[in-house]
Amino acid sequence: MRILVVEDEPDLLASLARALREEGYAVDTANDGEAGLFNAESYDYDAIVLDVMLPKLDGWEILRRLRQQKKTPVLMLTAKDQSRDRVKGLDTGADDYVVKPFDLEELFARLRALIRRSANKTTNTIAIGDVAVDLAARHVLMGGKPVELTAREYALVEFLALHRGEVVTRTQLYEHLFDEDDSTLSNLLDVHVSNVRKKLGAEFITTRRGHGYCIE
Amino acid sequence: MILNSIKWRLQLWYGFILVAVLVGFGVTAYQLERGRQMRRIDGELQRRLNPLASVLRQPPRGRLPDNPQNDEPPLQFRPQRQPRPEDAPEDMLQAPRSFHIPPQVEALFNVDDTNGFYFVVWTRDTNVLARSENAPLEVPVPTGPRPAFQPNSPRELRQFTRALPEPQPPRSRGDAREAFLITPPGEVILVGRLIGSERKDLRVVAVTLMAVGGGILLLGLAGGWWIASRAMRPIRDISETAVKISAGDLAQRIATQETESELGQLAGVLNSTFARLEAAFAQQQQFTSDAAHELRTPVSVMLTQTQGTLNRERSAAEYRETLESCQRAAQRMRRLIESLLALARLDAGQETMQRRPFDLSQTVRESIDALQPMANERPVTIAAELEATRCVGDAERLAQVVTNLLTNAIQHNQPGGQVRVTLRGQNGLATLTVADTGAGISAEDLPRVFERFYRADKSRSTGGNGLGLSITKAIVEAHSGTIEVASEPGVGSTFTVQLPAATSAA
Repeated sequence: MRILVVEDEPDLLASLARALREEGYAVDTANDGEAGLFNAESYDYDAIVLDVMLPKLDGWEILRRLRQQKKTPVLMLTAKDQSRDRVKGLDTGADDYVVKPFDLEELFARLRALIRRSANKTTNTIAIGDVAVDLAARHVLMGGKPVELTAREYALVEFLALHRGEVVTRTQLYEHLFDEDDSTLSNLLDVHVSNVRKKLGAEFITTRRGHGYCIE
Repeated sequence: MILNSIKWRLQLWYGFILVAVLVGFGVTAYQLERGRQMRRIDGELQRRLNPLASVLRQPPRGRLPDNPQNDEPPLQFRPQRQPRPEDAPEDMLQAPRSFHIPPQVEALFNVDDTNGFYFVVWTRDTNVLARSENAPLEVPVPTGPRPAFQPNSPRELRQFTRALPEPQPPRSRGDAREAFLITPPGEVILVGRLIGSERKDLRVVAVTLMAVGGGILLLGLAGGWWIASRAMRPIRDISETAVKISAGDLAQRIATQETESELGQLAGVLNSTFARLEAAFAQQQQFTSDAAHELRTPVSVMLTQTQGTLNRERSAAEYRETLESCQRAAQRMRRLIESLLALARLDAGQETMQRRPFDLSQTVRESIDALQPMANERPVTIAAELEATRCVGDAERLAQVVTNLLTNAIQHNQPGGQVRVTLRGQNGLATLTVADTGAGISAEDLPRVFERFYRADKSRSTGGNGLGLSITKAIVEAHSGTIEVASEPGVGSTFTVQLPAATSAA
């Protein structure tokens, strides 16, 4: 999953990005409104964490303009806690609204909920044959036993599982599993797919030649 | 506790006064009427006394005729013998004498009427000489000064008896009013009348006066109560509104229809006080919520940093980084807290400002020197034209003011820009200007720059907390000075501070 974090307070931005990356997300960052909007319009993020008080362009405006083009789930992060601010946020198109200071774990859970919802999944566990993908715990069980996966491997499994039945192109995978900080080596993806097949079974991920991958 | 109510006190006093007035008036009226009646009666008594007296004024005779219907002149006293010196004069009068009343005198006394006039005549030695038939049985002899009687001769006696009797003050005796006189020989003539019916009439008058007075008193009290209530109603309205306001509803105001009366003015003053109170409360609430709001971000930084770092084992360098960002956040909160407290104290007037003479140009010079490194970093040049100006006040706080203005001028400047500082002392005013060549302040932001927490650039990335100019303004105003800003977007901004200068020469 690739997430965009737009926040002008540098320390906060840095720690959020680090924490999300450690959770296995690919994270892009922006520290002003214009850069944030530009990023949001350029890529299909799985979720956007958006601060309201930004220089150059504030969060409301970004949201409004973004919603004209994309349905990316947006979680607004703000110091404004009044009910009317929450109402405004949700009405303008945000999918969730979190008030600073916030608990990191709670933020993660809300992001997971956003992503799950946008993939039309209602539960936190996706069962694929013998394999259970636990979205909340962010691990995979096979036959009830946890399987050792790297963060990238899990991210790959999660993404394909959430788009189960769809064919996901390599480009999409690149866009959703790597952030702008990663060097794009196209065979890195193949390595991850191969590793997952080794751990979860060769049939786990199906290759559609010329199109992409999918989990059936 | 009744006495605590103004209405009751008014009523009490008013009642007292009304009672006093009514009683005074009533008593006077009664006395007038009574006096009139008495004078009338006394006049009538007197009218009857005099004829009787004149009957007695004939000198006494020696022998009483047996038949008073004789033609002999009445009360003729024929001495039976010549008086002899050894005869006591009183003896001459001992002989009973006839008391014959001529008919016209008799007509004055209505003997058939028990309430009519009656008379009694006593001799010198208090024996009843004559009485009218309707005279009450027990009429005591009035006492009075008996004239000394020393006639030495019949002629003297005659003269004496012819003299006018001494008038005496009338007396009231029970239900009767009696007037009497004492003749020179010492006889007492009394005319009286039962005045029971007059007395009754007077009583009726008295009762009527009391009843009418009582009625007027009641009406007056009722009227006074009504008036007092009407007068007190505005006060009650004010009191009720004030109670509502003190209970928390600061939006209430006293309804005033009449603004000119004393109570209307009071209501007006109270209303404007309540309005100020409401505004002050609103400002305080705004301030408190702004302050809490400002603290959210640094706390958020610390929380996210620490939670993220503690999620797994980190290297020493990573821990150090986290600690440093926490420190930055904590410093930010410290600055915010200090600014807030300074503002709060300035607001409450609790900041004890020094009042000492100092040279403002020196303060400015020191600030410029301190900020030179920051200026060099941008880089921004500082040009200063400073006149030595003496002011009275707190040099340290005014240094804060200068530093704040200079810092803003440097930070909101372009690289290679300039900051011009001038200080002039003229007409008892010290004028300090700080001009920068920065981005300027837009027209809509301009009036609001001195507001608390107001930042023209709404984000927080510039590092300030939006209180610097508010504190600056508060300090300047605490020195009875003024601060203004003029700006042109794209060109720059100029802040002008005016302070009272010390009048004595530097």
